[in-house]
Amino acid sequence: MIIARAPLRISFVGGGTDLPDFYRQYPGRVFSVAIDKFTYVIANHIPHAKKIIVKYTQTEVVDNLDDLKHTRIREALRDLGIDKNIEIASFADISSKSGLGSSSTFSVALLKALNSYLGNSLSKQDIAEAASRLEIDILKEPIGKQDQYAAAFGGFNVFQFNSDESVDVKPVNILHKTKNDFQKHLILFFTGTTRDASSVLTEQKSNIADKMEVLKNMSDSVFKFEELILKGDFEQAGKMLDEAWKRKKSLASKISSNSFDKIYEEGINAGAWGGKILGAGGGGCMLFMASPDKMANIKEKVVALANKEGLIGFEELPFKFTECGVDIVYRDDRK
Amino acid sequence: MKNHITKFFDEMNHYMKQVSHDEISKAFRILEAAYERDGRIYVIGNGGSLAIARHFVGDLNKTVFGHHIHKDVKRFQSVALPTTDAELTAWANDIGYDMVFAGPLKNYVQEQDVLVAISSSGNSANIIKAVEVAKEKGIPVIGMSGFDGGKLNQLADAKILVPTEKGRYDLVESIHETICHLITNYFQGVINYKEIGSQEI
Repeated sequence: MIIARAPLRISFVGGGTDLPDFYRQYPGRVFSVAIDKFTYVIANHIPHAKKIIVKYTQTEVVDNLDDLKHTRIREALRDLGIDKNIEIASFADISSKSGLGSSSTFSVALLKALNSYLGNSLSKQDIAEAASRLEIDILKEPIGKQDQYAAAFGGFNVFQFNSDESVDVKPVNILHKTKNDFQKHLILFFTGTTRDASSVLTEQKSNIADKMEVLKNMSDSVFKFEELILKGDFEQAGKMLDEAWKRKKSLASKISSNSFDKIYEEGINAGAWGGKILGAGGGGCMLFMASPDKMANIKEKVVALANKEGLIGFEELPFKFTECGVDIVYRDDRK
Repeated sequence: MKNHITKFFDEMNHYMKQVSHDEISKAFRILEAAYERDGRIYVIGNGGSLAIARHFVGDLNKTVFGHHIHKDVKRFQSVALPTTDAELTAWANDIGYDMVFAGPLKNYVQEQDVLVAISSSGNSANIIKAVEVAKEKGIPVIGMSGFDGGKLNQLADAKILVPTEKGRYDLVESIHETICHLITNYFQGVINYKEIGSQEI
């Protein structure tokens, strides 16, 4: 048995520029950080069962690969030439569709587990590329590569998406003190609603031609954001998030709902410098950047309004940054 | 005599400035990830470099946590390989000196671990053999080398090279020792910020 895990992530600026229709014309960039919320995938060899058994929020037991309903697992197995005698299970700290990159985190953990199962040794970049190939080329999802890379590498990174499909990984060398301070200036809420990235991204994709200038600015703004974070200027960084959020809303109608706009404004009025909705924007998580002494007030005001707006599941999601990317955390198949 | 002393310290300064900050930062990140996922950190070297390696193991395991030693704080799992003189000489005597690190490493190594290899020439056979075991397993390698870096600097993920002319073990070893202390100092900070929210030691 092999247990692989990969982290979820918070992307700060640049999201939306990792789509091919953009980066084929201008480099896309994103500043993203892995957090200590993980998805685990277990792969177990079951030589006597002759079946495929897959356990997630449902359990599937099938004789033929084609009968497997779990799309990612089915296509990953098909691509790797595994069609029997395997049992796969997944566990996740946070439910899917949270806006924290969970689908790609799952793909990364899955491919790490399956490749290790086959005895293949893959680098972090190899895994990121394999997950991207699974989701974009095979499953034809209208997404970019930022989440796969964030989950594979872990830590603080600036990823650059080039027109030749290559991805440059630039780790951000943030000092321990600054990292600690940064964390204290952030508060993350789960909105209690989930959303499907695909519909928002499909619309976003079709708007790219119109929005080239806006997207170019977003891509370039990543360097400025990195500089501010490294300096510990969280107020300016927070304001950048606010500007970026306002610009992103102009890109697609489904990015944010009226309730979320109100809750976001409430957070700003309660003292936040800026924030964003995480993921493709129709739901998921909401992040604010503020001075630590404002956090209690922001939390109180934002949760109260959310409840009033009918978002019963709206609650704070405490987290920490992690340097860990995709890892094997256990295996008992040493020869 | 004073000139001789000044010259030595000037050379130290000169070569310290040549060490890549990016590569040291890489080492910080590799070790922090290992700490988070409970990986083991094996530190190896020959002669003076072995003394540095053993010192570093103690610093990672204890010095980093000096101000929180009685608390329930998770500590690094750094390992001096092989763990006894008896095992080291057994490998050397029976199998070959080039296997004194690679042999024992194979016993312990798991995917969550890290190898720190210290070799002034970057070409010590027993160090390279161990690095090859690490790379085959897919674990990160922090390589501290000197002179032209040799094979170690090519193979390592974090390439900490002190680029003196050949033979200046005195400078390379001194700076490697300093870098180990730099890393120790950095992680003292990491733990302090984690536990008490400040650098105050």
